[in-house]
Amino acid sequence: MAPFPYVEISTTRIPAGPPVIELNAVTRSYTGRAGVVRAVENATFTIGQGEWVAVTGPSGSGKSTLVNMLGCLDQPTSGELIIDGIGVHQMSRQDLDRFRADKIGFIFQQFHLIPYLSALENVMLAQYFHSMTDEKEALVSLERVGLGDRAKHLPSELSGGEQQRVCIARALINNPPILLADEPTGNLDAANQQIVTGLLRELHNQGHTIVMVTHDPEMAALAGRRIALSHGRVICHPISPKMVTLQR
Amino acid sequence: MNRLSLRRLLFRSLAHRRARSFSALVALTVSAAISTALFTLYADLDDKLHHEFRGFGANAVITAAGNSALPADALARIRVELGNDAIAVPFAYAVATTDRGTPVVVAGTDFSEARKLNQWWQVDAWPTNANAALLGQRAANFVADEKSVTLTYGGKTIQLNGAGRIRTGSEEDSRIYIPLSTFTAWTGAQATVIEARIPGSAAQIESAIARLQTDFPGLSVQPVRQLVEGESNIVDHTHALMYAAMLLISLTVGVSVLATLSASVLERRRDFALMKALGSSQSKMLSLFLAEALLLAMAGVFAGFVLGSAAAWFISQINFRTATLPNLTVLPLVLLLNLAIALAAAFFPMRVLRGLQPAALLRGE
Repeated sequence: MAPFPYVEISTTRIPAGPPVIELNAVTRSYTGRAGVVRAVENATFTIGQGEWVAVTGPSGSGKSTLVNMLGCLDQPTSGELIIDGIGVHQMSRQDLDRFRADKIGFIFQQFHLIPYLSALENVMLAQYFHSMTDEKEALVSLERVGLGDRAKHLPSELSGGEQQRVCIARALINNPPILLADEPTGNLDAANQQIVTGLLRELHNQGHTIVMVTHDPEMAALAGRRIALSHGRVICHPISPKMVTLQR
Repeated sequence: MNRLSLRRLLFRSLAHRRARSFSALVALTVSAAISTALFTLYADLDDKLHHEFRGFGANAVITAAGNSALPADALARIRVELGNDAIAVPFAYAVATTDRGTPVVVAGTDFSEARKLNQWWQVDAWPTNANAALLGQRAANFVADEKSVTLTYGGKTIQLNGAGRIRTGSEEDSRIYIPLSTFTAWTGAQATVIEARIPGSAAQIESAIARLQTDFPGLSVQPVRQLVEGESNIVDHTHALMYAAMLLISLTVGVSVLATLSASVLERRRDFALMKALGSSQSKMLSLFLAEALLLAMAGVFAGFVLGSAAAWFISQINFRTATLPNLTVLPLVLLLNLAIALAAAFFPMRVLRGLQPAALLRGE
């Protein structure tokens, strides 16, 4: 086993490419009535291209804050946050919106599909805010997740697993370098968990960079590396060389 | 290539929340209908009210100096000067004696014009021939037989048929009215007074009177101040009342639409948070929301214009017994007002939208 805190080498691990996410002494603090609260303190790590990283930690550990910053929904109070070679820590709000559309694909625990848009239109929504919508491209994205025949269905007509797959298709449509998955199987039953997990593995094998927030140790074990947080501080842990699967 | 357009997003969003959209649409339609009705009536109000006022009597009195007879052509010239909408009625007066020996004021006039001028006179039967008389309520007591009235003036006696009675509650009740031609033939006297009803606003009436004074320097032309100022006050107060009503209704509708839009923002905050996460700029998100409000406002205008025009027609028929036709010139005003209401109502919900925290909302917090 590799010495702590360095990342272990697994026989099934895809080697990481150049850094796609770099944090240098990133801190995010809030000023409240009780004084200054440091939700994330002095975080320094990198995530390489093609890596699958699990971000874990209990409630209040700063996990959400860290993920918000990685998703460009929030900015550090201090430090450097470089995504795909571009420093986002000093970007304006407008530039950040644009950057997020280009670089980040979100996969949410609660799917967050627009209820009055079909599966196809939900995928096209990501295109709408990015550049230009293209039904054919959106259909290809749906077919990629196995839902080409459910394109016209509303979210209410899809199962939980299908909705999550639509969410994944939406996340992929603009070819973002980073997929940010927040508890992607948290709202799914076992069968759908397997389907979605399989999809994420496939995406990882295709070279996508996945940053996954999870409470589930089994899900965390699927990732190539774990970043654990405690009281706002980041700790990198190696994982067991044994790959744990959901099939028992 | 099919596109996901703003139009499709808007219509889908509105259709998805039918109840809320309908509620806001109804409020905005009501606002547009009421403002259409009020603006349409307002545009026609002056004419309608002045038309009503026409029958309330003269607002100008023309006499010759020293109470002498008016020139023979004065009436015709004054009618030409004032135009077809005005009414000018000649009156001649004399004090005669009835068959009971009671003095009574006898007035000679043009009955058909006097009837137009004084629609407030209560007359049970207007005279229709040269020998008929109209007896005042009190004057009827001065004669022995209403059906056969005998009057003496300057030693000359005239026999008239009493056609009907007049009741006004004023000095007319003490008079006997006969046709001017009969009066002149009997007394030899011409008209000494012309009572005129000049249409228009107070300023227009004053202007017409000034013209008459210039064109007829030998005559005295005086406004009946109470009527001129009274009419003007009624019209002004009616306008003010309409403005106040419109303002109150607009405020009420604005509050209703505000409540609906606020509820809509709260219901859909996760949808907006998602849009933000997907890369929507603040301005794009706000314009999407605002576009919905403005679309409802515009739909309300067109539905409201039809309803409001119908309401104006109905109100006009009931109150003035004439139709007020739909007036397309009020449409831009109604549109502006409705859009302003929608914009004002959207202001606070948009502030809420601006303050959305997408990350917290998307994590279910």
